[in-house]
Amino acid sequence: MSRVSSRTFLIFALAAVSVVLLILSSSNRLGPVEGALSSAGRPFLTTFSGLGRQINNMITTARDLAALRGRNNQLQTMVDTLTIDNLRLQEAESENERLRSLLKFRQLNPNYDFRGGQVIARVIGKTPSNYLQSITIDLGSEHGIKPGMPVVTERGLVGRIHKVGALSSTVLLIIDPSSGVPALIRGNRLSGVVAGRAGGQPVMEFIPQDEKIALGDTVITSGLGGNFPKNLVVGQIVEVRQRDYEMFQQATVRPTVNFDRLEVVLVITNFQPLPGEPGEPESVG
Amino acid sequence: MAKASRRRTLTIRRGLTNFYLMAVVLTLVVLVQATLLARVRLVGASPNLLLVVVVCWSLIRGVSDGLIWGFVGGLALDVIAGLPIGTSSLALMATTPLAGLGKNSVFPGSLTLPILLVALATPVYGWMVLLSEMIRGIPVDWLASTVRIIGPEIALNVALVVIVYPALRWLATQIRPAQMEW
Repeated sequence: MSRVSSRTFLIFALAAVSVVLLILSSSNRLGPVEGALSSAGRPFLTTFSGLGRQINNMITTARDLAALRGRNNQLQTMVDTLTIDNLRLQEAESENERLRSLLKFRQLNPNYDFRGGQVIARVIGKTPSNYLQSITIDLGSEHGIKPGMPVVTERGLVGRIHKVGALSSTVLLIIDPSSGVPALIRGNRLSGVVAGRAGGQPVMEFIPQDEKIALGDTVITSGLGGNFPKNLVVGQIVEVRQRDYEMFQQATVRPTVNFDRLEVVLVITNFQPLPGEPGEPESVG
Repeated sequence: MAKASRRRTLTIRRGLTNFYLMAVVLTLVVLVQATLLARVRLVGASPNLLLVVVVCWSLIRGVSDGLIWGFVGGLALDVIAGLPIGTSSLALMATTPLAGLGKNSVFPGSLTLPILLVALATPVYGWMVLLSEMIRGIPVDWLASTVRIIGPEIALNVALVVIVYPALRWLATQIRPAQMEW
């Protein structure tokens, strides 16, 4: 009997603590604590993230080796010995390529200011929750990062800074259901809002019903609302949904950025989002 | 007198062992979840290792242990995931009573029960997270989330049980034999 009582007590006590923490956290009263904990966990995250990348690389290499073994057994020994060097070289080369692409983006967009040596933010974590589409980068308030700053790659818009810690920040991706990006279609200049969808591709909403939309058209940021700079590429229209009884039509947008393979991003630090704009809340589907 | 003192020492030692075990296992699980598994995205979802560990541990060691693991692991995950602190704890704790249903199974080595319980616990966890978000005023598409996120997550989590459950059972036998809970 007493055992059952103590378990019931435990359930209620832990649930009560969780609810209190949830309320405090939702009202941003635990910000400093969350920031401190997140900073403390950052070295571990970085290490494990690097380890994960290495494992991914090793799995890819292992696949390649298996294919090579089938084709040419004589080269097997040489391949084995060169694999580690190859890995390093490939990593350096692909990083070099990414940096070049980012540099090109910088040259094409000279109006945006990038932080000196910390121009490029490395992605050190992806959200471990299926209910929030975000990434963690290795720049924080100590590097001048502030909530609301847009985050891009050379391929297009990634999202914007959501939470800022001292040494790391969370970026809410544009594919998150709580994210809304004012956008326009480059071809016919129709404007709308690109919003994320749970488990699916983002959708451009609020497009007037009587306008024609062509598949393959590029969607760019409109700059309306003051949350994002103008003319950043968001994606390409892959599907249009038009129903006679609805006020607006919708277009499914395939983002140009591959969010599963983000390794480095750029934070646009000189763009100031309009004050009073709400930071997106944690999202779900 | 000496017997009582020895028993107390033994209890304290067991408590400390459980605490260290929990700290090590949960730290590893949360780090693996946040870094390695977050990169594994199959049909739109990632497996939830922490949920699988908590459900399996509840099944092996009882609801009380599972509750504590769920609470602590959930807090750690929320800090790393950027979710409001308490969201995952509440959701994980809600799944542990489910696991308690099969605690005294006559086939403890069988994978059928943990697979079934994880398959049930995954939507419970997901809906709890969605509910907490809805209460905080965030628009929730229940159907899309259930079909596109929770559905694939069930399959991925069930696949994880095959590795996690035997490993945790082995770990549990290294500490002390399981006790029946009523």
